[in-house]
Amino acid sequence: MASWELQAVVVEHRQRAPNQYELILHAPPIAQTAQPGQYVLVRPMETLAPLWRRPYSILRANPDKGVISIFYSVQSQFTELLSLKPLGSQMSVLGPLGHGFQREQGVQRHILVAGGFGAPPLSFFASRLVSALSPDEQILILAGARRRDLLVGLDEFRALGAEVRIATEDGSQGYAGRVTDLLSEALCEPLPSAVYACGPNRMLQMVCEICLVGRVPCQVSVETPMPCGVGACLGCAVKVRAPNGAIWYKRACTDGPVFRAEEVDWE
Amino acid sequence: MSRPDLSVNLGQLRLPNPIMVASGTFGYGLEYERLVDLNQLGALVVRSLTLRPQVGNAPLRLAETPAGMLNAIGLQNEGVEAFILETLPRLRAYSVPLIVSIAGESPEEYAQVAERLQRTSGLAGLELNLACPSPSHRAFDTAPQLTAEVVRAVRQTTDLPLFAKLSANGGDLVPIAQSAVEAGADGLTLIHSVAGLAVNPHTRRFRLASRVGHLTGPAIKPIALCAVWQVRQALPEVPLIGVGGITSLDDVLEFLLVGATAVQVGTGNYLCATLSTDLVGALTDYLTQNEIGTVRELVGAVRDVM
Repeated sequence: MASWELQAVVVEHRQRAPNQYELILHAPPIAQTAQPGQYVLVRPMETLAPLWRRPYSILRANPDKGVISIFYSVQSQFTELLSLKPLGSQMSVLGPLGHGFQREQGVQRHILVAGGFGAPPLSFFASRLVSALSPDEQILILAGARRRDLLVGLDEFRALGAEVRIATEDGSQGYAGRVTDLLSEALCEPLPSAVYACGPNRMLQMVCEICLVGRVPCQVSVETPMPCGVGACLGCAVKVRAPNGAIWYKRACTDGPVFRAEEVDWE
Repeated sequence: MSRPDLSVNLGQLRLPNPIMVASGTFGYGLEYERLVDLNQLGALVVRSLTLRPQVGNAPLRLAETPAGMLNAIGLQNEGVEAFILETLPRLRAYSVPLIVSIAGESPEEYAQVAERLQRTSGLAGLELNLACPSPSHRAFDTAPQLTAEVVRAVRQTTDLPLFAKLSANGGDLVPIAQSAVEAGADGLTLIHSVAGLAVNPHTRRFRLASRVGHLTGPAIKPIALCAVWQVRQALPEVPLIGVGGITSLDDVLEFLLVGATAVQVGTGNYLCATLSTDLVGALTDYLTQNEIGTVRELVGAVRDVM
């Protein structure tokens, strides 16, 4: 898969909610090839501290306009530098990188489980999924967060016409509890389903366990530091298990970030 | 003026330019082949190979620190046999001088890896990753005797140019450098990473699964420059390769001026994939603009403040 390292132009910081922004970047080759679940590494600064580029899942890609967008909230020195990039300025972007979500075949319902800031890649996936949906297929979005202000991307999901069910741990919106409770409940409904998830690792672990028990095809997008993005540094190791029980490490940056539930060893 | 001469000699090994990429930071090179013109590099040092494949350490393996990073990869690699059978044939498509880093748990193991590589073709040299624990649990590069045992064992198996990569973790580096050279190293790579550690104070947990890791990046540059300078004073005839925190042309110049004949870009590769080849261009421009005929004029040319 081809990737490009280029100077992308900042088109817009679009506020989506208090302290939630969509950063739109002009990066035509990336926009034209990006697939849902893939990510870019961005480096908005010339400083040596912070040092690393950071990975951001692609929220959307418009091949015609040559733009991609990523989602951020200002919560660190890095994201502050990102937020300060003026319109029209350039920043180093490497991408698209990694293996994204693959549409599961032979199911009637695609369940997308979004935990907090894990929503963006699922939003991109849902938008591509909708355009390829057959009449007997549907999309169900399960969105969860600790509080309602940490829910991300609900408008986009709704705009696709998908059913959206919400869980907040403090009960400030929707079901009071974990989004994985909603998943267990949804999987009791008699529809052949597939699950795609992105969010905190502890949520992904629960999603995998639920799907493995229920024999539901499941893909999860994991988050780790990924300084190189090309599989060279081996820092983003994800423990995997072969069918014969052998344990080794795959690279989140190139083998993932999307893995099949049965592969990942969460122990 | 005519195009400046960027070539350098590391003993018998001639490089087209002094900008190399550092072991462990550039994979086997092939990971970067679509982003970086590998043939523009002075040399490519592939990740450390061991006798048998290594699965590496459990995550978390990395932590970012101020102007640096900690790693504890645990020598994950495919092993020397798989490298020779699967990776090396693909690397031979490139003209870049290829240096293989080797690691082991004992002098004999290093020698076995070197001996296996000696019997193949297409390699420009070997680099010994001596920051591995010896049977006594001390890293091989922390005492002259331990360093010498590995270098001597490897030297007996190969006539490839041999570079000993040393950390500054063992105190005074000069006696360790001397022992490496006396045992048969053709040159020295200075420095390997610095031992380091980080804690997340909020969770009260170590930030690396292995607790202690290897600090690299700009944070270690002054330590690396000091090591190159001190070893250069003691061993002025020995080719030195400087490594530690290079992210700019100025960094390259600093290492050359204190006595490095060549340099390696490591952590910098993560900031910009083409940093190393960009630096080749920047160095060429610098020499041209300053009417310096050969990069070798800069090596060791540092002057005192007054």
